[in-house]
Amino acid sequence: MSGHQIEGQEPFDVDDPALTRFDLVREGARRDGVEIVHYKPRFPVPGTKVERRIERSIALMLTLAGVFAVAFVILYIWWPWEYEGGSNAGKWYTPLLGLTLGGSLVFLALAIITWGKKLLPEEISVQERHDGPSAHDEQQLTGATIVNMGDELGIARRPLLKAAVLLPGLGLGAAAVAPLVGGLIKSPHEPDAIFFETGWNPKHNDGHPVRLVREDGTPIRPEDVSTGGQMTVFPGIPGGASNKWADSPTLLIHLRPEDSALAYKNANNSERPPGINGGSQWGDFVAYSKICTHAGCPASLYEQQTNRLLCPCHQSQFDITDNARPVFGPASRSLPQLPLDVDAEGYFVATGDYKVAVGPAFWERP
Amino acid sequence: MSSGLRLVAALTLFGALYAAFAPGLQSASAEDTKGLSAAATEGKQIFDNSCISCHGRNAEGVPDRGPSLIGVGSAAVEFQVATGRMPMARQEAQAERKEPQYTREEAAQIGQYIQELGGGPQLPAGDHLRADSDEDIAKGGELFRVNCSSCHAFGAGGGALSSGKFAPTLEHATDRDIYAAMLTGPQNMPVFGDNQLTPEEKMQVIAYIQNLKSDQDPGGWGLGRLGPVPEGLAIFLIGMVGIVIATLWIAGKS
Repeated sequence: MSGHQIEGQEPFDVDDPALTRFDLVREGARRDGVEIVHYKPRFPVPGTKVERRIERSIALMLTLAGVFAVAFVILYIWWPWEYEGGSNAGKWYTPLLGLTLGGSLVFLALAIITWGKKLLPEEISVQERHDGPSAHDEQQLTGATIVNMGDELGIARRPLLKAAVLLPGLGLGAAAVAPLVGGLIKSPHEPDAIFFETGWNPKHNDGHPVRLVREDGTPIRPEDVSTGGQMTVFPGIPGGASNKWADSPTLLIHLRPEDSALAYKNANNSERPPGINGGSQWGDFVAYSKICTHAGCPASLYEQQTNRLLCPCHQSQFDITDNARPVFGPASRSLPQLPLDVDAEGYFVATGDYKVAVGPAFWERP
Repeated sequence: MSSGLRLVAALTLFGALYAAFAPGLQSASAEDTKGLSAAATEGKQIFDNSCISCHGRNAEGVPDRGPSLIGVGSAAVEFQVATGRMPMARQEAQAERKEPQYTREEAAQIGQYIQELGGGPQLPAGDHLRADSDEDIAKGGELFRVNCSSCHAFGAGGGALSSGKFAPTLEHATDRDIYAAMLTGPQNMPVFGDNQLTPEEKMQVIAYIQNLKSDQDPGGWGLGRLGPVPEGLAIFLIGMVGIVIATLWIAGKS
């Protein structure tokens, strides 16, 4: 019992028995602002040869989609999947799962698209585009509705609620600002030296200099590293090669004599302001923190001819013969140098901790 | 145009005549082969033909062209020559692996000459320089990840270094190549002498690398095992373009 009157048109009675179902569809679309201007079945005479051919090919695609899906389930359950070296059936587990599930989805999609493009009726519909600002009436009505909402709340004549509503407003505002401002406050961990100390500090070894050790804890003699060679070393304290001392890995490098002389000259040059690496070198050996000063990646790609140390993450490059100064890439500070010596038994030790904090920047860095 | 051709022709003719009438070059060097073994003498012949222009007489090096080979040992020579890196085609950032100009035997002869000239590290005999047990392969994997993977990458596909240099892929490397590379540190590779990685450990590393190479990629096509960058590029170029084309086809009029 509805009659939707559109100007210049007959009233439309949905209960009129003379209307076909398509008339109702067309009216429904029209009320949504869509006009069906062209509508024609692709196969006015059902069951022609062409139509049956299309039906058969869609049926074939659907069948293949089903077969592939079943194959996926069978492979998933029964195909051998355990790792075994070399070429064997297990290496095909993942590709086969991908092929079967992917094949099933592809054939299902092809069937749906073919159905839509070849069997559904041809149709052209037009929808008016809504341009420009809303009509003046619409604007007035919407504005009144919004203002009315404010009136209904009655904030203006209820001063107690007006004041009370401010409290959560202020509280939540402060909560939103806290993490932003808090991050700007310097030295929240003032007494905590965690950023400034590594496992090379003698206090972790009862005040004795810490030995340089390999990953398995064995100490290192100078002759263990060939000229032009390098070795990743860890502090010789309990758990020195573990994550507990993840800031301590160091690259021990055996320079060629001429490069060594250059490194020594650059480290002991009194004209340079820092000069903190003087005396850190032992013979032709230098040791630099492996933690990149840009983002903390392991800078361990050592080019033994150019004496550059590369960081794989962002391509920072450090000049090993010049205090590990950054010469390329985003890193802006030199890698800290570990002061080296050899103890009475002939093993490498660090005479002290790094002179500056290792790794990337942080708020408390002086 | 024709004057240029004439110049080339004249130079070629002059070169041929000079070669024909100047036999003194070969015989002069024959005098300083005293005390060299037969293989080293053969090696010196090749050296004097091919290497001398950059590495100098008696392999003492030529400034700005080639380094001295005194003390590099036969291992370095065999690596550089047998992998085709030497002789270099031109002076550039890095000598690349290419089709070798000399056989392994000839490379060994040049190596023998350099060895007798200045000494240095030598390779063990044999082509099978790897440990074979599963335990060795596993230990080699640990050593590879600690010492090699930062430059050669976890899949041994290699990676970029500074200024056009790169750590090469280990795909074509033989046991002897890898052993020699660790022992001598060719080009910018650090040296891993026998005190740092013992011969047994070197063979474990080689066992791991060769096992890794012979292993089939479990996920399908490995794209050179270079990691997420080529994989992302492939899915972007192939996958996204495929989707765009499919979308156009779906939306197109039938």
